[in-house]
Amino acid sequence: MNISEDWLSVIIAFVLMALAILGVIAPALVKF
Amino acid sequence: MSTKVNNTPQSAGGNSLAMSLVGFALVVVLAFVARWAKYQVYGTELPFGIPGKVLEYPLWAALIGLVVNGILKAVKLHEPLKGGFRTELFLKIGLVLLGASVSFQVILTAAFGAVIQGIIMVTSVYMFCWWLAGKFGLPDTLRAVMSTAVSICGVSAAIAAAGSVLAKKEEITYVTALVIITALPLMVIAPLIAQAMNMPEPVAGAWFGGNVDTTAAVVGAGTIYGETAQKIASIVKQTQNALIGIVAFLLALYFSTMVEGKKEKPSASIIWKRFPKFVLGFIVASLLYTFGVIQKGDAMDAMMGMKDWAFCLAFVCMGLELSVGEFKKMGWSPVIVYLIVTVFNTLLALVVSWVIFGWLFPISAV
Repeated sequence: MNISEDWLSVIIAFVLMALAILGVIAPALVKF
Repeated sequence: MSTKVNNTPQSAGGNSLAMSLVGFALVVVLAFVARWAKYQVYGTELPFGIPGKVLEYPLWAALIGLVVNGILKAVKLHEPLKGGFRTELFLKIGLVLLGASVSFQVILTAAFGAVIQGIIMVTSVYMFCWWLAGKFGLPDTLRAVMSTAVSICGVSAAIAAAGSVLAKKEEITYVTALVIITALPLMVIAPLIAQAMNMPEPVAGAWFGGNVDTTAAVVGAGTIYGETAQKIASIVKQTQNALIGIVAFLLALYFSTMVEGKKEKPSASIIWKRFPKFVLGFIVASLLYTFGVIQKGDAMDAMMGMKDWAFCLAFVCMGLELSVGEFKKMGWSPVIVYLIVTVFNTLLALVVSWVIFGWLFPISAV
């Protein structure tokens, strides 16, 4: 299955959001 | 999925994936270097009273990317690694994450002004570029690709337009290089001008969004100027990006009927096909924030940290992906046209954004 870059970016971003909401990714871990 | 087995291509594919991963790892390392460089100058004051904040991470990331780009090309490693250089992907991930911090009310207000600004800017700049490029005798396909790139959003618009008018590959590469070469200095100069003019952040953001050609540099300029400017610049640019599909459709219609003389018309489905779908992700993220699913606190801080990392990766890739080889083949006429149109675009966007976002639809808080 081919997935466009646009949809891939949306999927990755929402997975990252979910991980942040669940507390798996802590702010200190990704502090820029 | 195909069941045929062919050792050579699979092996090449495996190598290609491995090299792409190495390329990605390199981008991550360079992003760490850019972050380190940012902290070295942040808070200092440069000559002529220029604040060190101007040297924010977008500039460092792009410069480091450019230097490493040159090194990789010299040692012939750029081509194998370039699969890991994904400016657009990282940028879009960052933009969707940014949506989680923007109220939908702000999107509606800003997008309304951005649609008006977008229509004025896209039509005026497109027409001016098309006319000027004609005066300089550039081929119609190059005129179309360049006009779309300079009036909408650089690289992705150039690719969309090229698909509609069946432009040559070297014309896309050429315009892409032009876009990045002009956008990089503008990313730094535009915030400096905005600061000298004491421009409010929403107006400055709207100006960057309407004027700087590529979305990465728009976000970069907004980041340098301030948080509100970053948000407004992103909204304005994404609204403008959403016009790609309509322009691509009109171009396909014009070229197939007027230039090639075909009777059948292109399908309007191209409007959806070319619509930047990540904009939908940005809107959904904003709705989640607006309705309280995402709240300020640790989760939001983590998302904004990841957003900055995603943008930093995109800026590194922007430097890494610059290619100037095509300039020698095409000569200087297109460069002159592009630079004149960029100046026109910059000045017109300054007036239009000030009238719309400073007077007609002012945004006080984000």
